[in-house]
Amino acid sequence: MSDFGGMEDLLQDFLQEAHDLLSDVDNKLVELEKTPDDRGLLNDIFRGFPTVKGGAGFLNASELVTLCHLTENLFDRLRNGELELNPELMDVIMAATNGVREMFNELGQMVQPQAADPQVIAALRGALDGTPSVPSQGVAEPPASAKASADDPAPVSIGVSGEPDWGKLQSAVTGGAAADGEFIAKEEPVPVASVPKAIEKSAALVPPNSQAPSPFGRRTTDRPGGQATSARRTEERGRENTIRVDTARLDQVLNLSGEIGLTKNRLTSLRADILAGKNDSETLHALDQAVSQLDLLVSDLQNSVMKTRMQPIGRLFQKYPRIARDLARQLGKDVELVLSGEETEVDKTMIEDLADPLIHLIRNAVDHGVELPADRQASGKPVKSLVRLEARQEGDHIVLIIADDGKGMSPERIRAKAIEKGLINEEEANTLDERQSLNLIFLPGFSTMEKVSDVSGRGVGMDVVKTNIQKLNGSVEIRSEQGKGSVFIISLPLTLAILPVLLVLLGDQPFALPLSMVREILPIDRERIQEVGGKETLVVRGEVLPVVTLARLLGWPLEQPPEYGVFMQTAERSFILGVDSFAGRDDAVIKSLEDFKPKGVAGVTTLSNGQIVLILDMKELLSDLGMRTDVGGGGRMLEFT
Amino acid sequence: MADPKLRILVVDDFSTMRRIVRNLLKELGFTNVDEAEDGAIALQKLQGGGFEFVVTDWNMPNMDGLTLLQTIRATPTLKHLPVLMITAEAKKENIIAAAQAGASGYIVKPFTAGTLSEKLNKIFEKMGMA
Repeated sequence: MSDFGGMEDLLQDFLQEAHDLLSDVDNKLVELEKTPDDRGLLNDIFRGFPTVKGGAGFLNASELVTLCHLTENLFDRLRNGELELNPELMDVIMAATNGVREMFNELGQMVQPQAADPQVIAALRGALDGTPSVPSQGVAEPPASAKASADDPAPVSIGVSGEPDWGKLQSAVTGGAAADGEFIAKEEPVPVASVPKAIEKSAALVPPNSQAPSPFGRRTTDRPGGQATSARRTEERGRENTIRVDTARLDQVLNLSGEIGLTKNRLTSLRADILAGKNDSETLHALDQAVSQLDLLVSDLQNSVMKTRMQPIGRLFQKYPRIARDLARQLGKDVELVLSGEETEVDKTMIEDLADPLIHLIRNAVDHGVELPADRQASGKPVKSLVRLEARQEGDHIVLIIADDGKGMSPERIRAKAIEKGLINEEEANTLDERQSLNLIFLPGFSTMEKVSDVSGRGVGMDVVKTNIQKLNGSVEIRSEQGKGSVFIISLPLTLAILPVLLVLLGDQPFALPLSMVREILPIDRERIQEVGGKETLVVRGEVLPVVTLARLLGWPLEQPPEYGVFMQTAERSFILGVDSFAGRDDAVIKSLEDFKPKGVAGVTTLSNGQIVLILDMKELLSDLGMRTDVGGGGRMLEFT
Repeated sequence: MADPKLRILVVDDFSTMRRIVRNLLKELGFTNVDEAEDGAIALQKLQGGGFEFVVTDWNMPNMDGLTLLQTIRATPTLKHLPVLMITAEAKKENIIAAAQAGASGYIVKPFTAGTLSEKLNKIFEKMGMA
């Protein structure tokens, strides 16, 4: 059940637009902190609130209307110079915009927003009352007592029925011009000294609590009980399922599908010719041409369709300066988040799945990465720390960089911490080089700061960041220089729809392995296989790797010893996968298996000869093995990518 | 009832709001509606000719509704156009400013198709379009 019967479409549009607007406001607020007197900026920010308020009014979201209204009044005073911006006021404003965002989230779950935090409302009113009151204020602002009542249908929509008689007002203002049916203002408007009174009079005809007609026939009192609301909030945190696409891109898709239609017609007629026995070289040449053309067009079409899913990552980035700012303020740090490459385009699903890992990395940089201003000064660094968030496309990969100019990470301290937490033993620690040591922070249960959950946390660790990135077939790399800062480099494929795979054979049956995990392919010489602790291993360039046969992973009987090994590298371990033979590499278009999902199968793809191939989910297959501790010989494998 | 073919320009920077206004106008039988995202774009469209009615928001980037209204009134070819101002405000000074600038009507968000119809009819009456 939703509070917005019949208005869901409108609500979705509103939210999408209003979210963008709010992100924009947030960024401008961060800028405003640097240049508090920028009138243009104040004007831009101000404009956001009446806009959201107007839309919210049509959705009957009265609490949102109230909050926007108060914030708007505050900005009106600021832009007119009646109030001055100070840090306390900035906090009030930030709290108000947070309130607006929370209400958007509630609306996103089809629930009318609850009243804003009374403290925020009080702070806003306090800020507004702090200066000599302006006569205009009373007209639109609902009395404070009306606020408290939850049954009040639309506290701020006074004026719908309650504005002064337009004709009379206009003739008063323009000296009678309007009364004649003329709509041209006099060049020199008549002084209006007496007009405010006239309005006051007509406005007074409307009781302040007038029951304005509810535009869409539903009242905010239809709101379901609080408990049900919060339960639903967690349940319905769905994804946005609409997308905005540049019409030029859609036109291209349309154009290409038209061309494909034409080529199909050509092929149909050629087929008729050929079936009728016409197979001279001219016909075959035409067939060859048509098929080549179709080939080209289809790959163009695939590209174009993929592009419709591509969104500039800036839409994601724009939320972060505000988050970084709030956190830095909370921690008493001076941090500027610098964005670049916002125009880089990324698959829409990926943008959504990147949101949390990126927030975590940014919080991590602000919280653990950069130092307090005093410490920075002591080490001769500029007081303001810079956190850089950058996106760019490199070949067929998207690279995201989160860099800070803080104190950097100490491999020794990380190793010590990992030992303390019991994640590795001392022996293992000694074998780790710097890169491997840094990678320890991605282990579940690792965090260098005790208080991690207060700020950086949300109870999510770096291991979740890594897991989420890997789900997108991406990888994370850390570089850190002590005293200079740390850099997290995320590398992602351009799209999730196409997966480069290696086709291996087990008997006659082909299987597809994600190419991103394959390091190299080597022949298995039975004589070089050594038994360590009862497990087969192979030494590759000094590294001892366990040999796991694909047959065993799949639970098939081993008919013959594997002839080839695939050097596989996943996040947790490296190993040699024993297979019978290869069928080459391919760009697989993944089709997920709906309704049932066999363990260890990520999806299926079709080969050019029409054969269906299973794409293996190595992680799942291995986790099964891991539990039986078949992999890794005696010790735990500790190789991080 | 005015001519349903009345060519109306809806000006608002918030596309959801344009859609709302458009839907309400449609409910009232007006389907010949075009949209503009701000005052500057609106003015360009209006100067292209053919429009008979303007419904505009107040707060917009580039050129706000009030400036658009003033510009319309100051342009000989456009000054006869009826302009209905839509705003989120019921503040006195805004109402006065709109009246002074020569707005033909003023409507406060949120409103129903009924309210809109009432406002439109008042304007049509005055203009002899009813």
